[in-house]
Amino acid sequence: MGKENPAAEKASNLLRSRLCDPNFVVKHLSDSPDSNYSKLKFLVSSSVTEACNNSILLLGPRGSGKIAVLELILTDLLLEYPDTISVIKLNGLLHSDDCCAFKEIARQLCMEHQLLFSKMASFDDNSQFMIEMLRECGLAHKTIIFVLDEFDLFAQGKQRLLYSLLDAMQSVTSQAVVIGVSCRLDADQLLEKRVRSRFSHRKLLFLPPSKEDMQRLLEHILSLPVDSSLPHAYAVEFNKKIKNILADGRFKEIVNTLVNLDSTVNHLLRFLFLAVSYMDLESGFLSFENFKTALSNSHRQPKLECIKDCSILELYILVCLKRLEVKEQNSYNFNSVMKEYKSIHDSFQTSDYYSRNVCLRAFEHLLQRELICFTDNRGYSQSVEFRPVKLLISSIELHQGLKSYCSCPVILLKLVER
Amino acid sequence: MAREKEESMQVSRRATRSSTFSANNNGIELGKPNDSYIPTLGDLVFGQEPISLDDLLSRFPGRRVQILELLRLLGTLNSSMPPLFVYGSASTGKTSIIIQVFRHLSRPFVYTSCLSCYSPRILFESILNQLLLHKKNAFNGYSSAKRCEKPSDFVIFVREALINVIDSLKENAEKTSTSKLKGQVNGKMIYLIFDNFELVREWDKSSSILPFLFGLSDILKMPEVGMIFISSTSPDTIVLRPFCRITKRVDELSTAFSLLFKRYCEPLSDLGVLPNGEMKRRLFSHLQPHIAPSLNEIFRVASQPCLECGVNQETRRKGGARKSVGSGDLDDIGFHMSTSAKYLLVSAFLASRNPATLDASLFDTTGVSDSRKRKRKASEKSLEQKEAAEQELLMKGPGTFSLERLLAIFQCITSVGEEEEGNDGLRVDEGSNALMSDILLQLTSLCNSNFIVKGGSCPLEGSTRYRSTLSEDLAIKVARSIKFPLSKYLYRR
Repeated sequence: MGKENPAAEKASNLLRSRLCDPNFVVKHLSDSPDSNYSKLKFLVSSSVTEACNNSILLLGPRGSGKIAVLELILTDLLLEYPDTISVIKLNGLLHSDDCCAFKEIARQLCMEHQLLFSKMASFDDNSQFMIEMLRECGLAHKTIIFVLDEFDLFAQGKQRLLYSLLDAMQSVTSQAVVIGVSCRLDADQLLEKRVRSRFSHRKLLFLPPSKEDMQRLLEHILSLPVDSSLPHAYAVEFNKKIKNILADGRFKEIVNTLVNLDSTVNHLLRFLFLAVSYMDLESGFLSFENFKTALSNSHRQPKLECIKDCSILELYILVCLKRLEVKEQNSYNFNSVMKEYKSIHDSFQTSDYYSRNVCLRAFEHLLQRELICFTDNRGYSQSVEFRPVKLLISSIELHQGLKSYCSCPVILLKLVER
Repeated sequence: MAREKEESMQVSRRATRSSTFSANNNGIELGKPNDSYIPTLGDLVFGQEPISLDDLLSRFPGRRVQILELLRLLGTLNSSMPPLFVYGSASTGKTSIIIQVFRHLSRPFVYTSCLSCYSPRILFESILNQLLLHKKNAFNGYSSAKRCEKPSDFVIFVREALINVIDSLKENAEKTSTSKLKGQVNGKMIYLIFDNFELVREWDKSSSILPFLFGLSDILKMPEVGMIFISSTSPDTIVLRPFCRITKRVDELSTAFSLLFKRYCEPLSDLGVLPNGEMKRRLFSHLQPHIAPSLNEIFRVASQPCLECGVNQETRRKGGARKSVGSGDLDDIGFHMSTSAKYLLVSAFLASRNPATLDASLFDTTGVSDSRKRKRKASEKSLEQKEAAEQELLMKGPGTFSLERLLAIFQCITSVGEEEEGNDGLRVDEGSNALMSDILLQLTSLCNSNFIVKGGSCPLEGSTRYRSTLSEDLAIKVARSIKFPLSKYLYRR
């Protein structure tokens, strides 16, 4: 592996930990007064100081940094108002079932206020407990902040939790802030009428950062700190190289390709992680090639790779299925494929003609690889040969796959092109 | 896990199970050697000697690029990592490479396979048992450390367990030496490996478990935990080209190759000699004629070759013309079945192929059938109809029949068989009641071996109907072995 450069290792570790830690990125993006951070912070802190109830939805595609911003705000607020805030966190993936959700709320409240939590408490007990806690905290001028992650999953089913929470906020003397976080932009449309009427229609949209912001972010992430435990000269040299790469036109193209695919911050961070993992640990500097390799590796096409892994017999079966599809028959199964296979063999005298058992096995491999699948769900009483199947790849992908296959028989290409 | 491997290594290689048992006190006292064993942090590592990088690369020929990329992504000690998804088709070496990479790096990991942990509860409990260093033994009644069914409980428990493990890893890292010892634990990070991840899709139709597992690293928010998912949905090079045209899977090719290799080595008297160019050519020409037929045999599961078969094949080969491998067993079914089971199979096949209305004419009580229809000149329309009917047969598959019909056909056929064979046939008259229960038992075993499957119930009566899954070739073979004229009874449209 060559001699190890300890400074390079340290730098690589530092960059990797930065890229895996959402707080680092979000702190940088949230500096301006116009950002979502400031708006949300203003809202929550004013509800705390003015002792009123509030609810808000944070919406944006996955990986835009909603939870990261929220965490930042909560840590800041907990420092500013140490005793007046308690935070309850719920997640739609874990607690979409109402009993589960109330149990979790009760558990977290008990932990906060050092009360004894009983696992045997029933659903009614837990909901009563929550309402009473809300009342008590309201009287004691303490705010409870409810964070509902994956908000759209709470809106499935009867929405009992949402209703009781929002209802309690309105009827009981409480001080509560409900912050819902969702990646569905229409999350508020999912609410029932009675829930929606109790919900203040405040929404905060998390849009992807602009090009200038992105550029500044890249520089901020990839620059090493000059006055830390890393050797000074090395850090300065590293930063200079980074500046050169970022200013390069080709690099801007790469970033544009990335952003066109997925403009969230998370996607960019994953790409940077890949590039940093390719960093040459001997010299200890990032080069433009690292970014290029990272780009080609992050844009994978699994179906094409799957086709490349297929054997020739499996390709024959796929092409036969494609031809049957083109002939627009209603449904086709393994037997029809075999008929087509035989007719191809008869008309073109190929050398690849194998027995039925072998073809059946190849067919099963294709099923396993998910290039074809059965179209009936409960046809388990039929054997494999009779169940109808369909292709899971498009003709373009098949065509491309055959073209890039290294020793594809010419006959297959001709058959697909027709 | 580590300790059991150590113990098995101490037993000599050729020991059979019975001899090891007799070595330890008749094997009756269970759990004795593991009583006082206290699991430690070292259990989380691979447990055997760590291997060098060159060793790792040479164990997996052709995987250099992937191994190096994996090492780069895992990074140096204590560097954080987003979740990793490793995919590739079956038997490409994903699991073994990842485990060996962890052996090389000597880093602690928790491995669970979604194949053996087939429900969320078993998966969660398996992970918790490994993290809490809990072993199921007779003392605790083979129970898990914590009962955990729901994802919400799992998150709470696993967070505690992970924090404990990471703390003890940190302590361990303070006082470790630099030499690479067996069972030494490197680093402060722990990795969770989920194998056969594609099976999680089928676990629950409400599909909340899959996004939960993917989002587990975000939910936990612990940078010292790394996650690796291995799945076979969403590539290798082998010796002989022609076989790759059929399949590229190593495990299937290996069975074909082992047989061919034996044949390849036949002319060689001394297997220790490395063949030179001339010898290689001669050996290959000896092998050549066997390659083509074995291509069609490639998916045959090797049954234990009996010595007599070997002798028979020898005599056959020496006797007449040179037969190729495949054609010798045209008439051979390849497995043993009782006569009544064969008759049952044939009747099931007939019941599935023929429409029920024909039964009366085909099987009348005298046992003589006359299905020779007078051949009329085929008009164009009837040819078209024939083609359409054939197509329908291809698509729809075998029909269903009820149990009564099957038994009726069976009785008719066996009476035919008895008449044709004279005294050697089945005695249906004597003790027919006893035979009946045997028949039902035979039917159950045929159902269990998937020759006959349940085809759904009749809508009017509600009784279950069955379907025969026998292919025509196998049916002909079975019928020939009991000397039953199958073609006379098959309904040809």
